[in-house]
Amino acid sequence: MTAALGFSALVTALVSAVALAFTGLRAFAAGGGPRARFRLPVWGLLVGAAAAMVCLEFALLTDDFSIEYVARNHSTTSPLLFTIASAWAALEGSIVLWGLVLAVFTAWVYRTVGDGDRIGAAALAVMGLVAVFFFGLMLTAANPFATISPAPVEGAGANPLLQNHLLMAFHPPMLYLGYVGLTAPFAFAIAALLAGDGSTAWLERTRRWTLIAWSFLTLGILLGGWWSYEVLGWGGYWAWDPVENASFLPWLTATAFVHSAIVQRRRGMLQAWNVALVIGTFALTIFGTFLTRSGVVASVHSFTQSAVGPALLGFLVVVLAAGFGLFAFRGHLVSSTPRLDSLVSREGAFLLNNLALSMFAFVVLLGTIYPMILEAFTGDRVSVGAPWFDRAAIPISLVLLFAAGIGPVMPYRHARGTVLWERTRGPLQFTAVASVAAVLAGLRSVAVLLTFALAAFMISTIARQAHAAARSRPERYSTAVARLYGSDPGYWGGMVSHIGVALVAVAIAFSGSFDSRQTIELEVGASADFDGYTITYEGPFARQDPNRTLIGATLALARDGRHLATLRPALAQYPNQVQAIPTPAVRTGLLEDVYLSLVRIEPESGRVTFDAHRFPLMWLLWSGGLLVVSGGLLSFTGRRRRRAVSLEGGIGAAV
Amino acid sequence: MRRYRLFIVATAGLAVVLIGFLVANLGENLVYYRTPSEVADATEPGPDRFRLGGQVVPGSIVENGATILFEVGDGKEIVAVEHSGAPQQLFREGIGVVVEGTWDGTVFRSDSMIIKHDEQYRTEDGSVYTPDSHQP
Repeated sequence: MTAALGFSALVTALVSAVALAFTGLRAFAAGGGPRARFRLPVWGLLVGAAAAMVCLEFALLTDDFSIEYVARNHSTTSPLLFTIASAWAALEGSIVLWGLVLAVFTAWVYRTVGDGDRIGAAALAVMGLVAVFFFGLMLTAANPFATISPAPVEGAGANPLLQNHLLMAFHPPMLYLGYVGLTAPFAFAIAALLAGDGSTAWLERTRRWTLIAWSFLTLGILLGGWWSYEVLGWGGYWAWDPVENASFLPWLTATAFVHSAIVQRRRGMLQAWNVALVIGTFALTIFGTFLTRSGVVASVHSFTQSAVGPALLGFLVVVLAAGFGLFAFRGHLVSSTPRLDSLVSREGAFLLNNLALSMFAFVVLLGTIYPMILEAFTGDRVSVGAPWFDRAAIPISLVLLFAAGIGPVMPYRHARGTVLWERTRGPLQFTAVASVAAVLAGLRSVAVLLTFALAAFMISTIARQAHAAARSRPERYSTAVARLYGSDPGYWGGMVSHIGVALVAVAIAFSGSFDSRQTIELEVGASADFDGYTITYEGPFARQDPNRTLIGATLALARDGRHLATLRPALAQYPNQVQAIPTPAVRTGLLEDVYLSLVRIEPESGRVTFDAHRFPLMWLLWSGGLLVVSGGLLSFTGRRRRRAVSLEGGIGAAV
Repeated sequence: MRRYRLFIVATAGLAVVLIGFLVANLGENLVYYRTPSEVADATEPGPDRFRLGGQVVPGSIVENGATILFEVGDGKEIVAVEHSGAPQQLFREGIGVVVEGTWDGTVFRSDSMIIKHDEQYRTEDGSVYTPDSHQP
């Protein structure tokens, strides 16, 4: 019953999507048309997608094991929260969530479409076409409501990785909000190409969707790294794993787009480039979905495999061919004449940023697809080692930090040396003092020192800008500082993100260069020294939860005879999975984390083997990442006051 | 405008150099993955590290002080492995492993072991679902 209802909801959504695509294209051809035409298809899409999600949740909550998805991802013993989250823990369900998010964004786009709005009509048509693909996928290759008979009495239970940590319930929806949100700017870019509209209207209209999608994508990547670190227990947060790269690639190009959009809106440059970036970004989101959902790479994450892979690959080819084909034929209609007065200017810094981000994306893409291409041609299965990525990522990141440090204080058009010197003198002095202090404190690694110096420069220039801006306002200084954000939310939101980026860069440099690792074996009651800490093994423990068996070790962490923490790294064993899921135990400190991950416990003697890691400044990584996200959201929520801000040649409208 | 063109040309040149450098470097950073059959048939002994994947042959595990000896098979060939370091909790006969190390012609010396993820879910009655077993 639920299966039939859910299936008909999907059919409703698909029919609506087809209708939306047709209506949109017809309205576009007719030069606009009344917006009321779109009401029914948009509502049909939204209601169908929402009803499908409700049916899936209902089937999970009522233990309807006649539905294959439920039988495979749920059991009567699953705790309630995991039951709800199981709706997107596996392939078919995650595409239902995808469809729902897409429907919500489509409805949001519809709200902004007016009568006789050609661009809006074409954008809705593109959104409709994308929806046709995803709902078509749900009705064929990835049907979440496929039934099995006879229905089993009990299902296989929720995905162990999901059950091990609730974070897994939030990581996919955040990523999807990011991925799917990028469909909106893509749809408008295609619409601008179709219409041959060279104005910045499509950018103005999609700015908010781009920012919200970018913020959620950033949050999704951050959560993924945190989950990797806190839950998977292999001793790190980023491994250049293809699945991680899949989320990072669109983030790089989307970040480039967020910046180059500013140049186009302010100076009317880079128009064709922006269209190409958006098409590329959307293609990369589809490519990322293909990587993660087709089983094309075997990695830690690959608990999905199905016939969906070829379909996604086909869709990727269509997007690339249609998008760049259209761009090749009509790109000249939206291109602007280059008007770069001087490379030493805000535009120049933006260009450098875009160049570095595009290079970065190219490198990551190369390293991600190379093994697949090699396997396709030679049959050799290989993986690209992390050092290769690091070698390219470090110099590019340093260039990016430099551009981010100098860019926001550069005037547009042409930066005169005197102005630049005045704005950077203080920050440069601060940076010099901080760098010398770091060297005196024993910092010797050139790459880390450079990162530290550039981060110090970034943060101090932003502080100086804020100070100067507040001083130039008529109110009292404290009031002016408080009102600074409201005066130009786009710019200051961006600066909050920049501070976050600087902190993240420092944290990555330090935790990657000064970490240490040791494998320790201990009898019950014995102690071992680890980098100035003493770890005492108090004994093993075992716990039987309703849905899993937990074995672990109780370890006391002390320094200079002072007890710091009791850590309990464990291994969780789920009845439906051969693989045990390790859960590391982390003690977060101001300077460094101590991170213990269990390898094994001898059943008879209780002797324990575990990996001990030290990671400096990890809290800075997470909090910096959150700052990056909140900066994006601040830019998104802020509306610029209609008040000219004159400040040293205009910091004005940034994002 | 000439400066702009110069900028484009310089950028393109830089990009070409970078790509060349990247691809040239890829080769040394590749870690190959091989099955026991491939190792037994074709792999030359040497210092090159690669990954070996297969199932732990039942009855082959011997604890040997700091190292552990076992055999990995893929149904056709069997390769002897000497692994240094403590095996993971789940290491046992019949389980899928991926070990990384070097091959000296008779023994594969590994220092890193991953227990392979099992794609199958087992239900209470022991029947196995695989993601592809769609029943009509």
